[in-house]
Amino acid sequence: MHDTIDPNRPASYAAANRDIIRVLLQPNLGWLALFLTATAAMIYGGYCWYLQLTWGLGLGGYNPPIMWGIYIVTFVFWVGIGHAGTLISAILFLVRSRWRTGVYRASEAMTVFAVMTALLFPVLHLGRAWQVYWFFPYPNQRYLWMNFKSPLMWDVFAISTYFTVSAVFFFIGLVPDLAIVRDHSKGLVQKVYSVLALGWRGTGRQWHHYMAAYGFFAALAAPLVLSVHSVVSWDFAMAITPGWHSTIFPPYFVAGAIFSGCAMVITLLLPMTYAFGWKDYVNLWHFEQLAKMCLLTSGILTYAYGMEYFIGWYSQNPYEWAIFSWRATGEDYAWAFWVMVTCNCIIPLVWYFRPLRTNPVSLFVVSLFVNVGMWFERFNIVVSSLAHNFNPATWSYYWPSEIEWGIMIGSFGWFFFWFMLFLQVLPAVAIAEIKEMIAPPVRGAVEAK
Amino acid sequence: MNLHRRDFLKALGLSSGTSAIGACGIDANRYMTPVENVLPYVVKPDQVTPGTPTFFATSVLRGPHAHAATARHRDGRVINVGHNPMAPGRPSVSTSELMELQKHYSPDRLQAPQADGAATTWEAGLSTLATAVREARAAGKQVAYLGAYRSGALVELIDQVTEGHAVYWEPTGYEAEVAAAEALFGRRTLPFYDLGDADYILSFGAPFLGSWGDAAIEDRYALARDPNHGHGIVRFALVAPFRDQTGVNSDDWLACAPGSEVLVARALAARIASDKGVALVGQLAGGVTLEAAAEASGLSVEDLEGLVAHLTHGQAVVLPGGASGDADLAAATYLLNLALGAAPGRFHLGGYAGPVSGWSELSALLADCKAGKVGVLIVDEANPVYALPDAAGAAEALKAVGLVVGVSSHTDETTALASLLLPTSDAFEDWGDEQPVAGLRLLRQPAASPLYDTRSLGDVLLATARAAGLQAPEGSLGFAAPTWREYLAAVWARDLHQPAVDGAFGDFWEKSVIQGFWQGDAGDVTPALVAESYAWADAAPVAGDLVLLTHAHPLRKDGRYANQPWAQEVGDALTGMTWDSWLEVSHETAEALGLAPTGKQQRSGEFPKVSVTTDGGTVELPLRTRRGIKAGIAVLALGNGHVAAGRYADGYGVNAAKLFALAAGSLGAFAWRGQSAKVGDTGTLVKVATTYSNYDDTDQGRQFGMLVDAGRLAEHGDAPAAHAGELTGIHHLELDSRLAERDVEGFYTTPDHSTYRFGMTVDTNACTGCGACLVACYAENNLPVVGKGKLAEGREMAWIRLDRFWETAPDGTEQMAFVPMMCQHCGHAGCENVCPVLATYHNIDGLNAMVYNRCVGTRYCSNACPFSVRRFNYHTYHWPEPFNLQLNPDVSVRTVGVMEKCTFCVQRIRQVKSAAKDGGNFTATVPDEAWRQVPACAEACPTQAMTFGNLNDPEGACSQSRKSGRTYEPLADIRPLSAVNYLARATFHGDPTAHHGGGHGGGHEAAGEHAATHEGGSHEAPAHEGEAHEAEGHEMKDHHEAGSAH
Repeated sequence: MHDTIDPNRPASYAAANRDIIRVLLQPNLGWLALFLTATAAMIYGGYCWYLQLTWGLGLGGYNPPIMWGIYIVTFVFWVGIGHAGTLISAILFLVRSRWRTGVYRASEAMTVFAVMTALLFPVLHLGRAWQVYWFFPYPNQRYLWMNFKSPLMWDVFAISTYFTVSAVFFFIGLVPDLAIVRDHSKGLVQKVYSVLALGWRGTGRQWHHYMAAYGFFAALAAPLVLSVHSVVSWDFAMAITPGWHSTIFPPYFVAGAIFSGCAMVITLLLPMTYAFGWKDYVNLWHFEQLAKMCLLTSGILTYAYGMEYFIGWYSQNPYEWAIFSWRATGEDYAWAFWVMVTCNCIIPLVWYFRPLRTNPVSLFVVSLFVNVGMWFERFNIVVSSLAHNFNPATWSYYWPSEIEWGIMIGSFGWFFFWFMLFLQVLPAVAIAEIKEMIAPPVRGAVEAK
Repeated sequence: MNLHRRDFLKALGLSSGTSAIGACGIDANRYMTPVENVLPYVVKPDQVTPGTPTFFATSVLRGPHAHAATARHRDGRVINVGHNPMAPGRPSVSTSELMELQKHYSPDRLQAPQADGAATTWEAGLSTLATAVREARAAGKQVAYLGAYRSGALVELIDQVTEGHAVYWEPTGYEAEVAAAEALFGRRTLPFYDLGDADYILSFGAPFLGSWGDAAIEDRYALARDPNHGHGIVRFALVAPFRDQTGVNSDDWLACAPGSEVLVARALAARIASDKGVALVGQLAGGVTLEAAAEASGLSVEDLEGLVAHLTHGQAVVLPGGASGDADLAAATYLLNLALGAAPGRFHLGGYAGPVSGWSELSALLADCKAGKVGVLIVDEANPVYALPDAAGAAEALKAVGLVVGVSSHTDETTALASLLLPTSDAFEDWGDEQPVAGLRLLRQPAASPLYDTRSLGDVLLATARAAGLQAPEGSLGFAAPTWREYLAAVWARDLHQPAVDGAFGDFWEKSVIQGFWQGDAGDVTPALVAESYAWADAAPVAGDLVLLTHAHPLRKDGRYANQPWAQEVGDALTGMTWDSWLEVSHETAEALGLAPTGKQQRSGEFPKVSVTTDGGTVELPLRTRRGIKAGIAVLALGNGHVAAGRYADGYGVNAAKLFALAAGSLGAFAWRGQSAKVGDTGTLVKVATTYSNYDDTDQGRQFGMLVDAGRLAEHGDAPAAHAGELTGIHHLELDSRLAERDVEGFYTTPDHSTYRFGMTVDTNACTGCGACLVACYAENNLPVVGKGKLAEGREMAWIRLDRFWETAPDGTEQMAFVPMMCQHCGHAGCENVCPVLATYHNIDGLNAMVYNRCVGTRYCSNACPFSVRRFNYHTYHWPEPFNLQLNPDVSVRTVGVMEKCTFCVQRIRQVKSAAKDGGNFTATVPDEAWRQVPACAEACPTQAMTFGNLNDPEGACSQSRKSGRTYEPLADIRPLSAVNYLARATFHGDPTAHHGGGHGGGHEAAGEHAATHEGGSHEAPAHEGEAHEAEGHEMKDHHEAGSAH
């Protein structure tokens, strides 16, 4: 397999063009199977939503006081996933981290699709989804206005801004590559890529403007990486529910988001690299860097989990302490808590050993555990806090219904539908930037540094 | 073609305009609500002002349950039942009255006469009846009547038509009490217990706060529990094998062996009679010693001595037994009352004096039926086929009757056997009168025209009597009156009208109709013993390892309200279980049976399904463990398990009556005597819909429920506490002193309420858990009934959750605190800030308002509500016709996806304000008196536990009540600034010897030593005042210790 982990493995510009573009618009059987599975899941989720719209949220497992369930859990999960791409493409660009080059395009695509997936949930968890436009400040004769004190309102702006900026940033990064695809295609396909490439010719003047714009958007996107999940965390931290009402939430959520996002990048890109034979462009060295990011954020999360307990004890707030001790020891959801701890705090520790973080099998398996663990982290926060609210006379138990599972599966279908489509129509590795890493084809060339 | 720009624009405008108009014409009705025209009256009916309710004084219930009420009337239909402010007694609406309202609109009502299952006309039906009556008389057969308790003019008419062959019988009625009164006092009447001045109540299981449904006794009980009322707090002791909803209100529970109550009562009576030298009572009580009673009952002699001490100390009242108490027990309690000198002040014979038939009369009637002696049997709201054990053979008896005529407004198991059904008008459509107690006569007037083709029972009887050519006895009113209303008026003219006092009869009648009652002299009600000896039946306790006992369900009663969705949907007061029957045992008994539920089963609301076998038969039902049941006792409520009573009753639960042996008790009165039962495991689990969490039956020290020491409270009354937590022992986090110095209320500004700040005080010491507030809320606010399946998923819509918490007093006794939890209308509401679309907001009157139309259903408000009192419309619910006619037009009916919650009945608040404006009051605030009972729950509460008012008025009743030392605000630590405050429940846990809260003698000092403490004794209240002002940090720690004691 990959014996060398050399980021600057010599390759030619032509080879880069050929290797990356080769896979476009070439659906093989494996791709088709995955794509159709995702589509089927998406349609099934849509059908479940249709049922829910028709009959009401009573098809879910909600019962007071647990009024949010896996829709919100999965929403936060996808928003979290959506953090890695922009982190990699924008922040690592600004700090000139070389390993970003190979992975940032696919991560960015993942981000855009993850945010698109996350955006489904605030709509479909509503009791009256058809009134969702009331979230927006549109002019109306009835002087109806929204409540800017509500964290859900902040969500609307934070996530829509994040989606817009990351989508635009994604597209800007694509322009030079789209021009390469244009130049290597014919007929109608070429016409489509011509429109998308916005007349890119790769002149010095274009590159000059391009790099300025890219830097500008990177600077714009970078703070959003931190702000979006902070705002999402306020959905919980601003409500007085024990287990939610905590100032630790913003940093804790952002760290968790990066953790889950990087793990998801590993989950998605590792198979992609092997399937497309792109070991020259994305290889274990890149994944090792991602694993290190996960290790860092896993440590932060472990600290945050511990600190929640410490504050629960130290504050002597009986409700706070009750919910945290019940979360870890209570009969209903303790298993979910320990799944979370095992997946997020313990299993990633294997990556402290270099052979295990440079081994594709271990990378892939551990990243899957992290994905599961991060879903359960949100499950613990959302469900168990509500289940044991202030008043013991209301304590209850929630388990998602078939409809909720269906919609959740549908959301994965929706995400993979877009991601599989992306792999077929857009270059999943940034060709132009890869070329920056390749020694220029000039006489007496030296290795690029 | 040369098209000018202007022509183009004209054409464009024309075409787009027409297409837009066309689109409107086509699509308007497809996507919008159908257009309904609102037209004003051309000639307005006298009693109808659109948009305002009209009230008609009436009496909804009958016989001993009758109670002065008003029918709240809107647009030609009755939408609610309220109290009658002109009648004696404090405001109150019992659950039964509301159930009658729902029964009025039941989709299962009989809508037209039926003969042999086919529709027929009234003329044909009446002619069939008259012919049958004539033939029966000619053949020398009886024309008999079988009905529930009835009083007043109707009884006279029935007795004349049936020539005395009338049986008035209810399965959990008062025949034992009446039989005992006849045996001892020579009068067939119910005693009247006046608890208002009592300072000690000893009950042998009487459900006087539950299925008796007696507003007067509940009202007087509340007065006796009121610490501001002269005597301090009445101490309530219960001698019974289990505590029902009434029983959990007791301060002391002496768990006796089933069937031994009578020996205890006799022993106490004999002992006290001999102590006091009341020879005749002692002689009648028949020399049972305390030792003998102790041995039979399983109580200790010290317990009984303690009871003697309590009883003889002050002004005690003794109440009889429950459904399983027989006539001997009633007689023994009468003797005990006499020995105590309770008569005639607290115990007299001024109770219900209407006909109460005994089991002997009913069994004689059934025997006559079987013997073919009955030609016509008129069945009126009596359901012996359902309510009697099968051995009674009620169904066979009915089949042997020539013509069975059902004259109730509903079908049930008994009318299913009737060949002729003549549906009668119900209490909201009919005239009538009732005599619930001596000296009071209630007049019923129709509040709405009949919904269906029904006639009044009086008219049916008069018409039948005339058509059959019956002869009335000499001197009676006869059958000449053309209508029932005129017959009734004639009875009132004969019996009650005094021309010298009342003037012309027309004026007297009109006044009586308007005020709904007549009050006169009660006559001599002194209980004078006429018996010289009493034949006590052998009171052998029921044998068997497990004894099955029963009682009437507080909501469904003996089964008469089982088909009312509210009676099924509102959770049982002690278990929260709905839409089912369940066997209740103590946890120890369940363990002994090997059926104790696991924690997981209990939490998920799944209960082991067990089979219960007695001599009467076997049923399968869920087993529920709870506190307050003696080991070896199983309790199963009556009232469910119907097979032909309607869509909401049939198939829910089991019929407990079928498990009981048919055995007449002492004095021939029917009693639900304990049955030896076998309980077997079916190995399956069954999910029961509950409205309470099954996680814990305590509040885990979180101070939602609160006990205070009654002895200490008696010293104190409801005077303001000298320092926070003086009585309750609660120390909330104090405001940061730096903020306090600067007169800053806290981090967030307190909302400004310039005119009104509506609030409520709920006295948990008065709350008995009857559920009237919940049912009234269902009726007033159009709350949908979601049904068994949806309720099991946690979809109930009740705006009031009757939280019940077992609190353990320092002496180890378990006390129940009922805490009705509705929206607290917080000043700093968690819900208001989080709503993204401002569907819930704080209004200027301090109400936490909810705009249903604006709600998008994020449910964030519910998550942020620390009291979890918000309800979500998971579906759009529909009211089967004609339930929709009961909907309150002042309250929107909510649809799917919308959050809702208690509004403090904002529609009623608006009515009061509008009425004040109509009266010319545009500037001044409406005075406090107008507010006290405005919300439907506060109006209904039989014990006046809820006081509503304007907190901005410092002299108002609500403001004043929360100055009490008993006041506590749940979760005050998180500073919600709730508008609802609670008053702690007083108990005698600090002093088992205190006779009552009156601070007499020794109880006084003892009470002082035991400061009020919270449950588990984990929290010692400050013995010295200084300690209450400790540093905040310490108090906070204190609180935590209380919270984590579990």
